[in-house]
Amino acid sequence: MGITYEAVKALSAQLYDWSLRKVPDDTKLGLERALERESQHGAREILKMMLGSARRAEQEERFVCSDAGVPVYHVTIGTAARLDGDIKQAISDGFDELVARINPPLLKHVTNPLTNERGYKGKDMPLVTWDVAGGADWVEILCQPKALGSGRWAALETFSFPTLAQIEEYVMKVVMQAGSQHCPPVIIGVGIGGSFDVAAKIASKATMRPVGSVNSEPVLAAMEERLLRAVNATGFGPMGTGGDTTALAVHVDYASGHGYTPVAVCFNCWINRRTRARLHADGSVERFE
Amino acid sequence: MTTLRRIRLPMTPEEARSLHAGDVVLLDGEIVISAGLPTHQRLLDAAREGRDPPMNITGGALLHLGSYSRDTADGGLEVLYMNPTTSTRFNALMPELIRHYRLTAVGGKGGLDAGCAQAMRDVGCVYFSVLGGGAPLHTAAIRAVKEVACHDLVAHYRLVRLGVEGMGPVTVGIDAHGNSVFASLQDNARASLPGIMEQLAGERAAAPKPGA
Ligand code: SF4
Repeated sequence: MGITYEAVKALSAQLYDWSLRKVPDDTKLGLERALERESQHGAREILKMMLGSARRAEQEERFVCSDAGVPVYHVTIGTAARLDGDIKQAISDGFDELVARINPPLLKHVTNPLTNERGYKGKDMPLVTWDVAGGADWVEILCQPKALGSGRWAALETFSFPTLAQIEEYVMKVVMQAGSQHCPPVIIGVGIGGSFDVAAKIASKATMRPVGSVNSEPVLAAMEERLLRAVNATGFGPMGTGGDTTALAVHVDYASGHGYTPVAVCFNCWINRRTRARLHADGSVERFE
Repeated sequence: MTTLRRIRLPMTPEEARSLHAGDVVLLDGEIVISAGLPTHQRLLDAAREGRDPPMNITGGALLHLGSYSRDTADGGLEVLYMNPTTSTRFNALMPELIRHYRLTAVGGKGGLDAGCAQAMRDVGCVYFSVLGGGAPLHTAAIRAVKEVACHDLVAHYRLVRLGVEGMGPVTVGIDAHGNSVFASLQDNARASLPGIMEQLAGERAAAPKPGA
């Protein structure tokens, strides 16, 4: 039995639905740790409210946020996976089916960028990126719906042969631009090098790493730690109304390039919507988050 | 535990002036919400053309919150969920709306700019910063759905008049005296940036080197 159209369709719809009703466990833990350290009264109230909102959403299966964003999927196909049907169409059909059945209904967020009209459908929606995993016989789908707060403040600039100091300066510039706007504490992804699109993809993928995970490369681990301290020293705080917690994590990754070096910085808001599961060759579903 | 101050909406301009940037409060009473630019444009057009607005908001609280509202089988209205949206998107429209409709409270997330803060100072109006991603809590504070206007627009753009109880806590982000938490945090962050960069440089020098 291969990985079928039906299985991909059902799973992509399910992943979106789950992502709206649960703040990932690693993120809740990050918020709890932040609450232990947070020194400002107002900020503590907000962090407590965030944890309360997350708890209530999970218990009552409610949406954490009314802005369900737009469907964004990252699909990794094992080179040994046997595909049975048009899995690209399956993701799109899965979203349509979700819109038709989800309770409560979704708001219309899919926006035509040329007219600003909103609906449930649009060109190239859902937004899907594709990857392959050598030798694997599964298909993995990660769903990370993006909304204005979590998408609007991303930025990219291209440098030639930048120093680490210049790269870090740019990260801080983007953090300053975003300021109070993106429902902090945020998860920050930084992508360095490759090409324009590769840097953006690396940054985006970096936001998907669990909060609290340590980068396996010591150079990057140290960079993540000091950038996190720097971001939190800005004082924007939870919801941008002041405090010690502006980011829960900074995740950095890179690709080699030519010497012209794009640096991409992107954010996910505190609710950090993210679900991930694998479809195996025997039809079973393994849910990770 | 400290008990939070409760604010009854709509406020008088004097009540609004009694609040200060950074105060953390709970909201009771009546709010009107919309997350739509077209909706705000309609309110503004009505003001400019001397027509009745789609909903009476004079002297009230107009918050940048989006909701999913629908008619119920028994002819009533219900709101399934609500949550704030980014207020800075409305910067250009808010000063005139605040002045014309003499709003005593506005709100949402992320704050408003200096032009809006000036209008709020002139009129006696505060900005409430509402938790984004707080839909389960905000929705639970709804006691009544009183009126919905602009039915032709997508649900989150409609004007919805709600009765709420214990909504929050919310933070007074901008007060009626010209103080903005958002502006002062941006200023403070700018001022501390050279020190932050210096700290980064020191830590970078002590950290493992690429390729080492
Ligand atoms: S930034 Fe995130 S938490 Fe804030 S309103 Fe948007 S989706 Fe919700």
